[in-house]
Amino acid sequence: MPDVPQNAGYMAAAYIVTAVILLGYAISLYRRTAKP
Amino acid sequence: MSLAHKGRWITMVGLVCLAGVYVRALAFTPLERLQGPAQKIFYLHVPAALWTEAAMILVGLAGIFYLFLKDPRLDRFAAASAEVGTVFAIVVLTTGPIWGKPIWGTWWTWDARLTSTLFLFFLYVGYLLVRGAVRDPGLRARYAAVLGICGLCLVPFIHLSVFLFRTLHPQPIIVKPSAPSLPGSMLVTWLFSLVAFTLLYVGFVTQRYAVGDSDHA
Repeated sequence: MPDVPQNAGYMAAAYIVTAVILLGYAISLYRRTAKP
Repeated sequence: MSLAHKGRWITMVGLVCLAGVYVRALAFTPLERLQGPAQKIFYLHVPAALWTEAAMILVGLAGIFYLFLKDPRLDRFAAASAEVGTVFAIVVLTTGPIWGKPIWGTWWTWDARLTSTLFLFFLYVGYLLVRGAVRDPGLRARYAAVLGICGLCLVPFIHLSVFLFRTLHPQPIIVKPSAPSLPGSMLVTWLFSLVAFTLLYVGFVTQRYAVGDSDHA
């Protein structure tokens, strides 16, 4: 049976990048809709 | 409750669901033996890709109806959907190469699926640039509608590109005519993620629709 590849760093990077992009956009929209 | 408040609530629920997806995907979904942990990028990449395509389909349909009905709400919805589609396209174009490096050995290759997805992203950016450049609201909506219809025509080509060309990109394992070729626990995680991304799309578009073109005035 082949060993499982050790590439968790890539997985972590993708999950962090996605969270940053989506949270960043959510905050940007919050600020734009909160404008008087 | 105003539209912006409704959008905020839907976005909040979507973000909570996304946090749930992270927990489920990282802690409770089994590892794929050949790809290892990098396979779990799939739970974010594919739902984001589906909504990138769906957002452009909706932009194009809103454009078609706008050209017939001249209803400014359609143009406003198209603008909102295009902006959110651009954000999802950025997620797709960053998570894809991060998966590609350990699995393919390269960050990027100019195969049909990747190139056409990059083209879709440029179309989104072009769409937003046109909206920013044209001052006259009627003209802006008409130009934007035509670009949106071009995007609508591109989406089926992107989806079918893995069948039409020899590509490195994997063929669909869920959205295909036959049953999904994925173990049940992985499929549940993916469906959960699709729900989270759907809520985020609806929440983002509702908020962006509420903002309207006020940034422009």
